[in-house]
Amino acid sequence: MSFLLECPRCGSRPVDEFAYFGEVTRRPKGSASLRELTEYVYFRDNVAGVQREWWQHRTGCGEWFLAERDTRTNEVLAIHLPQPERAQAGGAE
Amino acid sequence: MRLPPQPRERIDRSQRILFTFDGKVVGGYAGDTIGSALFAHGQRIFSRSFKYHRPRGLLCCSGHCPNCLMTVDGVPNVRVCVEPIRDGAVVEPQNVWGSLERDVLSITDKIGGPFTPVGFYYRTMIRPRRLWPVYEKVLRNLAGLGRLRKDGAGHTRYDVEHRRARVLVVGGGEAGRAAALAAAALGPDVVLVDETADLVGHELEGVEVLAPARALGIWEGGLVPVVAGSVLHRFRAERIVVAAGALDQPLVFPGNDLVGVMLPGGVRRLVRDFAIAPGSRAVVIAAGEEDLEIAGELREVGVAVPEVVDLTSTPARRIEAHGRKGRVAAVSVDGRKVDCDLVVASAGRQPAYSLLAQAGARVEYDESRGIFVPTNLPAGVEAVGSVTGEDCVTVDPVRTTKGAGGDKCFVCVCEDVTTKDIARAIDEGFDSIELAKRYTTVTMGPCQGKLCQLASIRLYAQATGVGEAAVGTTTARPPWAPVELGVLAGRHFEPARRTSVHFRHEEAGARMMWAGPWKRPYAYGERPEDEVRAVHDSLGVIDVSTLGKILVEGPEAADLLERLYPNRFGDLRPGRIRYGVLTSDAGRIMDDGTVARLADDLYYVTTTSTGADSVTAWFEWWNAVWGYDAEIVNVTGALAALNLAGPRAREALGRLVDDPDVVSAESFRYLDAKALVVAGVPCLALRIGFVGELGYELHFPSPAGEHVWDRLVAEGARPFGLEPQRVLRLEKGHIIVGQDTDSESNLLSAGMQWLPKMDKDDFVGKLALEHFAERPERERLVGFRMEEDVLPVEGAQIVVEGRPAGRVTSARRSEAVGGVIGLAWLPPDRAEEGTRFEVRVDRRLVGARVAHGPFYDPAGERMRA
Amino acid sequence: MSVTLDFLSPSRCDPDVLVSPLARALAGIDPALVEDLSAQGKVEIRGDADRVEPAEGEELIRLTPRRAFLLTSDPLAAVERLRAAGVRAYDVTGGYAGFAVRGERLMRRLTDLDLERLPAAGPLFLRVPAIVLRDDGDRFRIYVAQELGHDVVLAVLDALDGLQALETAASSEGGA
Repeated sequence: MSFLLECPRCGSRPVDEFAYFGEVTRRPKGSASLRELTEYVYFRDNVAGVQREWWQHRTGCGEWFLAERDTRTNEVLAIHLPQPERAQAGGAE
Repeated sequence: MRLPPQPRERIDRSQRILFTFDGKVVGGYAGDTIGSALFAHGQRIFSRSFKYHRPRGLLCCSGHCPNCLMTVDGVPNVRVCVEPIRDGAVVEPQNVWGSLERDVLSITDKIGGPFTPVGFYYRTMIRPRRLWPVYEKVLRNLAGLGRLRKDGAGHTRYDVEHRRARVLVVGGGEAGRAAALAAAALGPDVVLVDETADLVGHELEGVEVLAPARALGIWEGGLVPVVAGSVLHRFRAERIVVAAGALDQPLVFPGNDLVGVMLPGGVRRLVRDFAIAPGSRAVVIAAGEEDLEIAGELREVGVAVPEVVDLTSTPARRIEAHGRKGRVAAVSVDGRKVDCDLVVASAGRQPAYSLLAQAGARVEYDESRGIFVPTNLPAGVEAVGSVTGEDCVTVDPVRTTKGAGGDKCFVCVCEDVTTKDIARAIDEGFDSIELAKRYTTVTMGPCQGKLCQLASIRLYAQATGVGEAAVGTTTARPPWAPVELGVLAGRHFEPARRTSVHFRHEEAGARMMWAGPWKRPYAYGERPEDEVRAVHDSLGVIDVSTLGKILVEGPEAADLLERLYPNRFGDLRPGRIRYGVLTSDAGRIMDDGTVARLADDLYYVTTTSTGADSVTAWFEWWNAVWGYDAEIVNVTGALAALNLAGPRAREALGRLVDDPDVVSAESFRYLDAKALVVAGVPCLALRIGFVGELGYELHFPSPAGEHVWDRLVAEGARPFGLEPQRVLRLEKGHIIVGQDTDSESNLLSAGMQWLPKMDKDDFVGKLALEHFAERPERERLVGFRMEEDVLPVEGAQIVVEGRPAGRVTSARRSEAVGGVIGLAWLPPDRAEEGTRFEVRVDRRLVGARVAHGPFYDPAGERMRA
Repeated sequence: MSVTLDFLSPSRCDPDVLVSPLARALAGIDPALVEDLSAQGKVEIRGDADRVEPAEGEELIRLTPRRAFLLTSDPLAAVERLRAAGVRAYDVTGGYAGFAVRGERLMRRLTDLDLERLPAAGPLFLRVPAIVLRDDGDRFRIYVAQELGHDVVLAVLDALDGLQALETAASSEGGA
């Protein structure tokens, strides 16, 4: 694996500079059934196609961001900065 | 013996160069390769084959085949046909018992046939199993390629150079040079890589020539590693032009590996570049016009060519070579025998598409020309010249598979795979080319299929009755060119994290050990128990700079920590400390440490020694999700930390601060965090008790590490290492995350039911803990004491009623407690105080009893003193 | 009782008690080859980096819009000034080993960062996070975590050794 990934800050860099943090998951709010919890904690879609996932430019600027990557080709179609929950909710939950 | 000067010769006859071969001095000229000099010197046998130890001579003379592998200056497997000659080089044959001319092991060629069938190592020597070490030793002596020097002498420094290129051209033939020049006319940063030394000293305007150098592969992102000597150049290229050319394909016929059977390219190199006549009487058997022309070239330099066979016009001719002492003496064409000492035999030229296939190109069979050609090149990768299939054509390379003389027909000279082996593999059901590769090892030898892939595909096509296109090719994988493992491994670089006090430990004779990414003192002498005693009775100091140290600052810092930790930090008063455990949403224990509140909006978090980076990333990630107004700053390296512990700690610290009252029992209480100036150095002092005695953890700027250490030692603090600390913490029953807990452990099973505050709205791990509370417990972490003075290993099995029931995670002998103590996972119904169980120690079972609570100073009076 | 971040700052100590993390690795090494810059003041900045104006003699390296690194001869004053301006600033002088080397060829053996696009944060020897700056000409400054500094600099010296060996070989070939 040697593809280049676009850091939102530093530009195109070798993928080994980044830490991969897996698919974007949905965390249950409040309480969750065992099934919901298990799905959130352990189940992954593992798609052969475009997937939204977390990355951090670990040995670079340290920024966390989201990438849309085609898992078949490693082509990264888009990157964006995360929208924190609290910003989305207007500062309160 | 050299020919008169040739128009394009690369040798400089005015410069004589001497080296030794097999102990004898051999001379050549500047511009020679070791191989060409040896050939000119009269050497014809260059190696012995892999399996049958048959004599082999120059075949391709272009660095592709395995026939000229020798050990040069201690480096095995050097292809001497392309290795530039150098003064004083020590060249030795390899894989030989005896000499190249008389190799004792060539007996395998005569009698080994029935005993060394295809795949023989998969099916012979399986039983009896205990004899395997013997077989292995014998095989290692019989087979293999060269030997590494066990003394490590001749060690080379391997380095990596990171390069960028706008255009990287691989291959310095006509097409490659033209492509490079055209690219250079349009802009800078054009690099041409060529595996031969031919271009050394040539000027290509605007082009950087890297030669001799070999491209190993093409990876995503335009990554092309190129080996030049002991340096790996990692190119990132915007555009890659592959001009790898085409490869002469050997003909398959009985005796086709005899010394003197050569490919046209190799013959040409010997004549043109090195002015050597490759033989005196040659037979040319070839397909293309270009290859047939070699007959004329040979005649020009005085070589008799009694027979030229054009395979395109008469495709079905039977060919067989006859040898004498391993060298070709005659060749029969359709039964007619012609005496000769050189056979130039070729089925034509096949594009060297591997680099392109690795890059993602498709490889398709072109029926009309009998070649595989690369198509659908990926973006940013181009092909020029013969590699595209231009001027390439092959005829059926498999001429004859059974000769009157009964000699073997080699498909693969690297691994000594014959047509018989391939036929047998097909008979046995290995009917796909990928299976054939793995079973017969055809294409898996040093040439990596350069000379054998086409022939093996043809054999498969013929035997299975499908076309070549259906048989297909095996997957092209890097490295495309042979490479030393050292080059791939690169510089030996495993940087240790060293605290700013590191060299003081070494100077004090500490035994240093790896602790995660850090180097830490195990102990300062042979008796760690003395260090333990010093802490209990008097005063000790340990370097804990390795602890992760993270600042969390901002108006919402408390909110962030409340949500990251299961326990509460919002109500922690400034200047106070609380223990914290981090869990994941799966409920797993991830890390632990202390959290000190320094101000309303400022916390100081410590993590385990291996946790600094991962906990920082974990905090940052959650905050990227949540968005609290709080900064997370990893200051691990900025601060040294020393833990001063023992009954005399207060008194010693008092002498190093301006006013001893600031450290009095009343003004500096257990779990207080305080700013102190110690020996002139500003410190954050944390009063905590990991080792169970009165103790102060001093955190201060790293560059002052040695100074503060020296002053504490001068106050009588005895340095103690990790091993004594492990004893001390175990006496207190303190767990080490990752040693006493694993990926299954949660707060409830680890005995920390008191820690999580389930009434909080949310924290990471809360959902899982709610479910753990409802489910029956599977096991519990408890303390135990051994009934005898024996020490179980960490991980020792616990046995209850003859069945495995748990495991020991920590165990140490403690003088202070008087016996062997430890921590273990047990079934909940066995976790009651005093319950007896057995531990397997050295194949016997030793009794132990559950013991709850700290073993030492259970009330904690000493650390709270 | 609140505690301030004074304990981060080596400048609050007598300079004589401070030891560079590179002191041992660079003992006896000509500073023209590798120069120890570890003592230089470094400030980590969090928050709106756009609001930070470097003072005379200071250098600001913006890593992200919310994270920057300030090189300064007076970290105490810099932190005070920035904090007064409402920017979160931390004296991390002790956290980084710094050194200067010369030559693009050497740098290409240390990092795959684009040497034309510095300053930047990226890996050294493919793994060690570093901040790399380029001065006029071919002088480069590198900052790495102080705890890795010793081993990193030993590897840099080894790489230098390798290059000199090459240069010597090349010059003797040319002379022959």
